[in-house]
Amino acid sequence: MNETTQVAQRNDGPMAQRHEDQATSTMTLVPAVDIVEDKNGVTLWADLPGVSREKLQVNVNDGTLHIDAEAVVPMPADLRVQHAEIRQPHFARSFVISADLDPTQIQAQLQDGVLKLIIPRRDEARPRRIEIKIS
Amino acid sequence: MADAFFGTDLFSDLERLQQQMTGLFGGFPSSIRAGRFGAFPPINVGATDESIEIVAFAPGIKQENLEVSIDRGLLTISGERHAVWQADMPEARRYAQERFVGSFRRVIELPEGADPDKVQAKYANGCLSVSVGRREASKPRAITVN
Repeated sequence: MNETTQVAQRNDGPMAQRHEDQATSTMTLVPAVDIVEDKNGVTLWADLPGVSREKLQVNVNDGTLHIDAEAVVPMPADLRVQHAEIRQPHFARSFVISADLDPTQIQAQLQDGVLKLIIPRRDEARPRRIEIKIS
Repeated sequence: MADAFFGTDLFSDLERLQQQMTGLFGGFPSSIRAGRFGAFPPINVGATDESIEIVAFAPGIKQENLEVSIDRGLLTISGERHAVWQADMPEARRYAQERFVGSFRRVIELPEGADPDKVQAKYANGCLSVSVGRREASKPRAITVN
């Protein structure tokens, strides 16, 4: 990675909040992600606190990757909420998978509430050195 | 010029929306030690008759990097989260970095009746749950009317 690479930062400015507001209107939270591409493919990490394997769904439909999850935190039945920064225990986010990535070979790992997805590049799309013959 | 495209004033709409959101979250009085809204990790606090329950949504932290302490009625959750990507990966391009990286500290003011000797903390699925018991004297009880 070089210094000129633009990194998409989570923007807390007023324009970015419109997106968050839309998320609350559909009753889901947008999980924060890190996305890195190397020569083998794209790796994505998503924060899904409180999500167990049974409550997580990752699927690819029509070239779009959907992450859908529900957080479950065991709590006493007579709990009175006093302060809540996370009100909706649902997480959802979608990404369009470009044609050079292979959606059938996605590997998913969930550990400590972080989902790691490895989306490999198609074999034919991997970078290759092409030998030039001098005739 | 912008009015020609959007018809209405987009920014006043956004501002109104933001005010509505603030109104939505402003229902609970916030502590002077609470920090800004949106700090990492997000924390939910609830109470039962027996205990005070605190949940910190802090995924991807190793147990040795997470610290919970109680000092004079203040519960402190602190720790550090490391970056998942390695800067030395060959030909790696970073497209998004939204996840929190670095050290964090959140302080919760415990109510008067909290007993610092009855604390249980558990880290599961990226959620830290802390349960602080109440002193016998501060538990709610029914008062009989003569």
